[in-house]
Amino acid sequence: MDDLHLHDIFDQSRYGSRIRTCIQCGTCSASCPLTQQMDHAPRELFALIRDGEMEAVLSSDTPWYCVSCYQCMVRCPQEIPVTDIMYTLKQMAIRYDYIPITHKLPDLYRVFIKELERNGRITGAMLLIKYGMRHPEDFFRKMLLGLKLLTKMRIEFHPQKTKHPKKIAHLLNREGWNE
Amino acid sequence: MRYGFFPGCSYKSEAGYAESVAAINQALGIELTQLSDWNCCGATAMFSLDETKALALTARLFALANSQGYDQIVTTCNACYATLKKAGHIFESNPEAINPINAQLSHEGLKVENLCPVRHYLDVLYHDVDAEVWSQATSNFVSEIKVATYYGCQLTRPWADLDQPQRPTILDEFISRIGFRTVDHSAKTLCCGASHFFPYEQECGRLIKRIIGEMVRKGAQMITTVCPLCQFNLDSMQAKIEIPPIPVPYFTQLAGLALGFKPSELGMQKLLVPWQQLLDHVS
Repeated sequence: MDDLHLHDIFDQSRYGSRIRTCIQCGTCSASCPLTQQMDHAPRELFALIRDGEMEAVLSSDTPWYCVSCYQCMVRCPQEIPVTDIMYTLKQMAIRYDYIPITHKLPDLYRVFIKELERNGRITGAMLLIKYGMRHPEDFFRKMLLGLKLLTKMRIEFHPQKTKHPKKIAHLLNREGWNE
Repeated sequence: MRYGFFPGCSYKSEAGYAESVAAINQALGIELTQLSDWNCCGATAMFSLDETKALALTARLFALANSQGYDQIVTTCNACYATLKKAGHIFESNPEAINPINAQLSHEGLKVENLCPVRHYLDVLYHDVDAEVWSQATSNFVSEIKVATYYGCQLTRPWADLDQPQRPTILDEFISRIGFRTVDHSAKTLCCGASHFFPYEQECGRLIKRIIGEMVRKGAQMITTVCPLCQFNLDSMQAKIEIPPIPVPYFTQLAGLALGFKPSELGMQKLLVPWQQLLDHVS
């Protein structure tokens, strides 16, 4: 999909048009705990959006580093919902296939949502084991901690479930929705 | 007041949150009943994928609270709290967003009738239990331990109504109310990295070191938290950063101590950083 079309989609999303008032002050970038890791700091990303460089924006790892701490959002002098815009960009990157392949958060989210659709609830140990199968280095780094938690009786071996997990899967299956 | 308790997915395996909340409820006669058949709120993962699905998960929780006759939903997790608050805000400003979701929920015989208030358990202990009750219940308790409060990021932002977003005071006031000393510091609402901690430990380790370092510099001997992920990250990362160990009990464990419970009755043996020496005079 081309930049122009992607820009239209973004602009018509729930929060997209809000960045029109951005004054490029950089408060968001300065407030962000993980700015250093990002390929574009939030202020820069907003400049790129307004330049229409949507493919670059959607391939950026910035939204995937966003931890949803909302610090930028409560500080923005223009009251731009920065965090919510990061969510919009993640949703668009998934939908139009721009997820940066080197970033690990999409995998964590995929496993999380699979667990949620299967059981209706998340069980920490299950989540981390399944994520660990995709990223063994992260799993092994936590082995010692895992053993410690085991001795403290803090590891759940049985997945937590809602009464009828299929109902949650059904709720989340949007094919049957009348929107 | 009928509180519908939404414990969230991590509640069961946490370091004594459940034990200490149960102890307080029992001591003060707070009726906190678990929302039957609760589901995961979807946290940040579901909002990253699909906003409508994320709203459907939270709507189901509101619908459960409605059908089970609760006046309020109470959580003990900052992420659950922020997710529910956010969804409530979206539904309030776009009431039509609820219709397709209600149509889906009707398959289970559920419906969002009203968006009941969502509250954190800290809010309940601070506002719904008279300060007088606390001072009577904890009258025999005075501790010289200096506590740094850690609110974490999502508790006070942006839809929260329990305190101001950047310099909150409610937890400090609560901790003083139950007989501990508090220290002022600038890391109260800095982010610990939340779920990024697992895939990006080193990067989040820097955030955690900055938070704990600031508290230690200001003379704190203990850190208290109100969120399971904050607690887990601050407690477990200490083994890997160069900083003198500092215990990280839940605010409910400190309240339990003030009410006269033994640390073992509050699940404190499940904490990772040792606290025994510090609490010698208490227990």
